[in-house]
Amino acid sequence: MKNKLTGVITLASVLVVGGVLQGCSTSVERMAAEESVDLSGDWNDTDSRLVSEEMIADVLSRPWISSFVNGQGKQPAVIVGEIRNLSYEHINVNTFVGDMERELINSGKVEFVASSSERGEIREERRDQELHSTEATRNAMGREVGADFMLKGSINSILDTEGKTQVRYYQIDLTLISMADNRKVWVGQKKIKKLVKKPGLRW
Amino acid sequence: MRPLLLSAMLISSGCVSMAYIQDPLEQYLISQQPELALAELEQQQYKTRDQTLYHLNKAVLLRMQRKFDESNVELETAKQIITKLEALSLREQATAITVNDAMRSYLPPPFERAMLYSLKIINYLELNDIKGARIETLQLDVFLKQNFEKKEPPFARYLSGLVFEANNELSDALISYRKAYQAYKADNLDVPRQLQTDLLRLTEYQGLADEHQGYLKEFNLKRWTKQAELKPQGELVVIVFNGLAPRKHETAINVQDPSSGQLHRIAIPFYEERSSQVDHFELQNGIDKNSSEAFEQIDEKAYANLTEQMPGIITRAVARVAVKNKLSDNMADKNPLLGVVTNIATFISEQADTRAWYSLPQQILISRMILQPGKHEIDITLKNTANVTVAKKSSKLVALQQQKQFYSWHWPASTATSRRDEHARITYSTTIRHHID
Repeated sequence: MKNKLTGVITLASVLVVGGVLQGCSTSVERMAAEESVDLSGDWNDTDSRLVSEEMIADVLSRPWISSFVNGQGKQPAVIVGEIRNLSYEHINVNTFVGDMERELINSGKVEFVASSSERGEIREERRDQELHSTEATRNAMGREVGADFMLKGSINSILDTEGKTQVRYYQIDLTLISMADNRKVWVGQKKIKKLVKKPGLRW
Repeated sequence: MRPLLLSAMLISSGCVSMAYIQDPLEQYLISQQPELALAELEQQQYKTRDQTLYHLNKAVLLRMQRKFDESNVELETAKQIITKLEALSLREQATAITVNDAMRSYLPPPFERAMLYSLKIINYLELNDIKGARIETLQLDVFLKQNFEKKEPPFARYLSGLVFEANNELSDALISYRKAYQAYKADNLDVPRQLQTDLLRLTEYQGLADEHQGYLKEFNLKRWTKQAELKPQGELVVIVFNGLAPRKHETAINVQDPSSGQLHRIAIPFYEERSSQVDHFELQNGIDKNSSEAFEQIDEKAYANLTEQMPGIITRAVARVAVKNKLSDNMADKNPLLGVVTNIATFISEQADTRAWYSLPQQILISRMILQPGKHEIDITLKNTANVTVAKKSSKLVALQQQKQFYSWHWPASTATSRRDEHARITYSTTIRHHID
């Protein structure tokens, strides 16, 4: 009887210690990039992806493209300008801009030109080619494609808090501006609203 | 048994005196050696429940070395930990009732948390990242609204106004300056002259005639810079973090029950008073000379916070006496010696929570100087009350039109001038005895 009791205690101890140790170890689970996981309620990759997909789908479905193609006989060249973060969160605007660039390029409906910072690096490389590359492989200066439209925008937010509950509202405004005459050819808006409840108790 | 209990009282008194030993970290801070202070900080063993303090102190030591990016990483880590600690831990509350208050995770009081945001904003400003500073300012606004129904920290609001001005959002800047003004009024403090001129300048610019007239009448200023005069100029804003926040110490009321012989001990924290080496600073560019003004007394915020917390601290301490005595009684019923040992253990474990963010300054001084676009050589001179120079820094800068540049300087040199333990004993002993009776 005593041996049986000792065995049970030993088994329980092992299970408890094992459980504690398991609780202390880091766990990693791989997941699909498009899978949505909200941890803190802050702006995350899902917000960035959903906004860029929906807004680019909207901009590409509007009549400004057909008007431009009919008038100019070529696809419009677009550049992404500054997306201002006016929200209360430190949002990585670069991932958002990256998502939009990907959607625009992959649509096949517009041509896309490099941003000003990227252009600087490419021009530097072209200057280097003039000195060091063979004539057959050299790319000449002054043959860049100029953008016809610039996509600009802002991310704004409103936070309403009561105790442990927050309503987080994000408004993303994008505008497509003609480089030729400053006309706004498209204005898009996407709103995201989240209800975030923080825990009242912890261990 | 009684000699044993009396020995415990003496040992415990020894613990109290330990609290007066100066922290090496404080010594390095005062001697302007943030690198050594950081090395000391890394050597000190911070418990998991004190992680917030580790990150907050590290952030100050890094920004003293002008490592603003790294400082912001530490401040953000502290902010994330604090967010988690906002949820109530029943386990920690139970420990606070049975052992002592310092067993709980350190959750900084609101005035320290406002400083967390403020330091992060200043780090961004010194990195010339106005957008980053603006985002942090919006977060600070949410925090202040949530945590201060009245008596907001005026410096936090004034700093917000500076950020909005730097971002050319003059309407928002005026709102923040107005809130800073209201905070000074709520605290019965003098409104700094610089804030007076800011309010006059922006209310006039925005055409708020009634409000402008009200300020004119109240401040009685004959001359202030108009917005049109400021617009083509650059500006330098210098912030000096003067002295060190006062430290908390422990004072205890020890009583022996004459009938049972049991020891009762109630330990409460009290603040020391500090005196800074520097009184003010002067900002010179060869043409103009501006003197600084105090925008915040952090020591006053700390005293006020402890006074506000004291009823809760005493209630928990008294509850602990009851819990610990019950435990000692139960043990004594089983074995008298075990009862005495338990009484001694519970007596010694009664310690006040003296934790706080000690690398904060005692006071924040600010001076602003309008600069014509172009090269300037700037002198910042720290002076004591006798107007004698304590330290001086010179730097060259290029002022740009409509651009604000920010510079901060920590000068922690200060000494503890008196301890308020007698004050704490006298103020709270009646309350404690009333609770015990």
